[in-house]
Amino acid sequence: MEAVLEIRDLVKVYPSGTRAVDGVSLDIQRGEFVVLIGLSGSGKSSLLRCINRLVEPTSGRIVFDSADVTRASGPELRRIRRRIGMIFQQFNLVRRTSVLSNTLAGRLGYRTTWRTIVGRPSPDDVIAAFENLGRVGIADKAYARADALSGGQQQRVGIARALMQHPELMLADEPVASLDPATSHSVMKYLEEINKKDGITVICSLHFLSLARRYGTRVIALKGGKVAFDGKPADIDERRFKEIYGEDAIEVEIGPVRDDDPTRIEARTRELAADSTTAAAKLNIPDR
Amino acid sequence: MAEYFVSRGLPVPQELTRNPLTQWRRLLVIGASVAVVYLGLRVTNLDFSRANPEHAASVIRELFNWDFRILTPQNEFETWWDTAEGQMVVTILLGVIATAFSLVIALPLSFLGARNVMAGNPITAGIYIVVRLIFTIVRSIDVLIVVIISSVLLGIGSAAGVVGLAFHNVGVLGKLYSEAIEGIDPGPLEAITATGANRLQVIWTAVIPQIVNPYISFTIYRLDANVRLAPILGLVGGGGIGILLFQSINLLQYGAAGLIIFMIVVTVAAMDFASAQIRKRLL
Repeated sequence: MEAVLEIRDLVKVYPSGTRAVDGVSLDIQRGEFVVLIGLSGSGKSSLLRCINRLVEPTSGRIVFDSADVTRASGPELRRIRRRIGMIFQQFNLVRRTSVLSNTLAGRLGYRTTWRTIVGRPSPDDVIAAFENLGRVGIADKAYARADALSGGQQQRVGIARALMQHPELMLADEPVASLDPATSHSVMKYLEEINKKDGITVICSLHFLSLARRYGTRVIALKGGKVAFDGKPADIDERRFKEIYGEDAIEVEIGPVRDDDPTRIEARTRELAADSTTAAAKLNIPDR
Repeated sequence: MAEYFVSRGLPVPQELTRNPLTQWRRLLVIGASVAVVYLGLRVTNLDFSRANPEHAASVIRELFNWDFRILTPQNEFETWWDTAEGQMVVTILLGVIATAFSLVIALPLSFLGARNVMAGNPITAGIYIVVRLIFTIVRSIDVLIVVIISSVLLGIGSAAGVVGLAFHNVGVLGKLYSEAIEGIDPGPLEAITATGANRLQVIWTAVIPQIVNPYISFTIYRLDANVRLAPILGLVGGGGIGILLFQSINLLQYGAAGLIIFMIVVTVAAMDFASAQIRKRLL
């Protein structure tokens, strides 16, 4: 196993004085599905955003695939960013534009400014966009406006947009926190699929430990900006849980669909995939 | 009533104990307002004694006794453009041109005047403050004052009117545009930045789609306001139908003046209606 991401002594202090990330050191191996857990304000979002420098780290070093992220700037930083996909809790789609142009935005890091402004997207990019939308089961919505979609569908557009970057690492900042339980599972399924089939390393922050146990190969818990636990999902017992979430915390399950009821998720995923195949057929998208 | 709260150990709501009439602060505000109006009447010394009801009545009658000769050329030297409707069209176009000029200047400046675009680096933050300050100063000089000055600088006529109107509008549109940019959803900016796009690509892909509709809406709103302002520009040397109106009043041709005023009212009402309809459909 090789480390795709090395984080050394990372510190992020906001101007308000909040130490959001306080000396975090981690090695993320290629192909891992890392789940970040921790209370709100424990530094999960800041840590994720430091990795692609949406948030400027105060000190420390981040090395992504032997490129120093913390010292990169300008074009070099953008070349690193385009290899790191990201999806967001609020999906962050450009709501007034179509699903297709939102998906195509994932290619911006590979295009010149000139081409962005005057050019039309290349046929290859359009085909890739439909393929990625098809993978997440919403190729038929390509021409709809982004804000006409449901939350789960918008998040899948977010995944398709990130896939357009051909990422080696996928950052997911509470991707299912705005979604209902069944939809949450279907979105997590897609993340699991890109992790297993495409070998994309995933770092995903989650609120529900049950989801972390079900999808993660490794769980990292943050508390007050420090790593409070790092290990296998199964190793989080009652005592560890209370350490992470505090004495009064009670573990809640995300229901009604759980991993002991996989049939419903499978059925829903198949349903969505079938929709997209027919849609793709109608739109004449080559099946690769 | 207060007993209910006291017996339960709760704080008594102020509404229960306060009598609005005995609050000295309210009484002070009311007293001060009355005093200011009274003082104003004394100082300005309004004098209605010179009004002549009979003359006023005859003028009002004349205003409705429209003189339709102004709608056709009256001698061989006049063309259609010299008629009242020709001048009305010119006036509308003055407003349109002024809006176009101010749009072209305010559009690029608005990005420099948006806090969320310019934040992050002390130089750009400095530019932001300067640009917004310019918008405020420009906006605070009333159109009529700007036109009076520009008619001195450029000579009386349409050029002075357009430049004066456009100058003031750069301040107004710049502020409206900048605030539209500041009001956008920051999420897409973050997401597009994360794809490895550069600053211009981020603006083009994530900012522009969010501001197109507010921009069009604000521009139409200002176009409407400019066309409404254009007829009075002639009164201070800015060209258009205002000159005609001013002349006919000075020559005591109240019939002509009344018709011109009616034409202005119809034009402004039509503009107002059209602009409201378009803006409603955009939002």
